[in-house]
Amino acid sequence: MTVLVPRSLLAFERAAVDALTDDLDRGDRARVMAYVDGALAAMPEHIRAGVAVESLALGAWTRVTALAHWGRTASVDAEFLDRLDRSPVGPLRQHARLLRSLTLFARHEIAGDEAGA
Amino acid sequence: MTTLDTEVLVIGSGAGGATTAAVLTRAGRQVRVVEEGPAVAPGSVEPFSLEEMVAKYRHRGGSAALGAPPIAYAEGRCVGGSTEINSGLWHRLPAAMAEQWRRAHHIDEFTPEVLDRCADWAEREVTVSCVPDAPPRSSAVLADGAQRLGWHAVEVPRVVRYEQDGAAKQTMAATLLPRAVAAGAEILADCRVDRLVRRGRVVVAAECRRTDGTGERLTIRADQFVVCGGAIQSPALLQRSGIRRRIGTGLKVHPTIKVAARFPFALDHGDVPMHRITEFTPDLALGGSANRRGQVALALADASPEAATAMADWQGIGVYYAAIRSEGSGRVLALPGLAAPVVTYRLTEADMSRLARGLVHLGEALLAAGAVELHPSVIGGRVVHRAGDLVDWWPAVTRARANLMTVHLTSSIGMGEDARAGTDSFGAVRGFDNLRVNDASLLPDAPGINPQATIMAIAVRNAEQALSSW
Ligand SMILES: Cc1cc2nc3c(=O)[nH]c(=O)nc-3n(C[C@H](O)[C@H](O)[C@H](O)COP(=O)(O)OP(=O)(O)OC[C@H]3O[C@@H](n4cnc5c(N)ncnc54)[C@H](O)[C@@H]3O)c2cc1C
Repeated sequence: MTVLVPRSLLAFERAAVDALTDDLDRGDRARVMAYVDGALAAMPEHIRAGVAVESLALGAWTRVTALAHWGRTASVDAEFLDRLDRSPVGPLRQHARLLRSLTLFARHEIAGDEAGA
Repeated sequence: MTTLDTEVLVIGSGAGGATTAAVLTRAGRQVRVVEEGPAVAPGSVEPFSLEEMVAKYRHRGGSAALGAPPIAYAEGRCVGGSTEINSGLWHRLPAAMAEQWRRAHHIDEFTPEVLDRCADWAEREVTVSCVPDAPPRSSAVLADGAQRLGWHAVEVPRVVRYEQDGAAKQTMAATLLPRAVAAGAEILADCRVDRLVRRGRVVVAAECRRTDGTGERLTIRADQFVVCGGAIQSPALLQRSGIRRRIGTGLKVHPTIKVAARFPFALDHGDVPMHRITEFTPDLALGGSANRRGQVALALADASPEAATAMADWQGIGVYYAAIRSEGSGRVLALPGLAAPVVTYRLTEADMSRLARGLVHLGEALLAAGAVELHPSVIGGRVVHRAGDLVDWWPAVTRARANLMTVHLTSSIGMGEDARAGTDSFGAVRGFDNLRVNDASLLPDAPGINPQATIMAIAVRNAEQALSSW
């Protein structure tokens, strides 16, 4: 059995980190993104694979709902992530929490963030 | 492919491996230690920082035992193992616990006297001490809160040497490993043992791969093999080598739930609190965690709506925990094609209830110590300002909402003469003439205290017994 895991952040993951760091300058934002990328890549393969499947599904979901709303661009914003955080579906909640935790930790350690997210 | 020979191959260089190597080399054995992680010079990376997670943690700290709820866990992966990233809090195994383990798990020669003698040896080697001056405020608040409630609290000594110019943690890379090298041991860092090669009852070689980017393959032949990869990696290596009987079951952790507490004064954030509230031990312990800015932000995040505002005053916020001994247990399972094992953990209803009780007691102590705002690591958990509101935390600690973690992993192999144990009373793997385990995976149960002292004492005992039987 071989588990295929992505080598870098998937589009949904990138969009989520973007949404959680949109108040940072470009340099800090890139550093936070690189940290989250490295942290996800370093995870045990089965956990990374599970996260990736959810990211793909959520990415597809945001695109479909955007189309249903007359072609609006898919938006992964803080509000969407908050809704995931409160989702009754455990894996979705954990998925949102994971991305939020990695981003939060990095923005405070790397960016010395004053805003506090 | 390179082939190396040695008399004894020790796999893993943490609390168990370094102790094993030190005892064996001093007795004149030719020892080689292989360590999957890199050698990182002591003091070169800031403790509990992001850089430390990259340099010294396995999976950069991102592992979890699957279950409801999942439990995030951390392991070291560098020369010195988890002792390089731990808080160095040092607790000897209480005599009553040793007696209980001896009887319940039929462990021969596992008396408090033997363990004390071995713990004495370890303490002489690593230096165990209390803070010479007043403890940091983040720690003192625990003692203060306990005192106001009439609860028992102690300052836990640490494996730290306090000197004029600061505190130096006495990790394995700073103590036993260099001494073992001085006595003739060789340490091969950046080298992972993928598999042990067996011929009948004998292990003949370890198949290794360099993790320094070269991917070079290596075979190490030895007369004796001692597996010291820790409670997750040791059973995984044995399973990858086809040794599965009673291996990887019975994993125990100390599930831990946290509170971020805001005080109306600044706390220090450079080190971990060394006080512990021991009123409810061994089943429940209350203490303090690493407190850096990133960790404070994380601890605040679960009770999310007020986190951003609270972070503005992060200097006054400390992170504290309630850790339990769990009734439930877990499994480590190495699956073909996966480098990392799958780890699962099942908590019982009683465990969930004990966690809730722990959270409430922790809240009581922190409020008694003067905290003005408590954020539990419970998703959507109520932010509490008065003791009367703590009652809301009881029903909130559910499988869906509790955010748990652990840094204490034990018991995934077990030792003793009873049917559940994967090794005999001294860590010799059943069915093999030259294969032993000597690390956290041998502990028959979670000790309810910081485990390093117990792991090292048992490692000394088992290494001495090995010497007498080879
Ligand atoms: C953040 C943190 C804080 C902690 N705080 C405390 C504390 O304050 N007090 C306390 O008593 N305990 C504490 N602990 C726990 C304590 O550090 C561990 O219980 C103890 O170090 C375990 O010892 P070990 O020898 O079993 O494993 P480890 O010390 O983890 O060492 C195992 C080593 O083996 C290596 N290895 C694994 N598999 C292989 C392989 N196949 N090939 C080559 N090498 C391999 C690993 O990379 C690792 O370096 C803490 C742990 C952590 C993570």
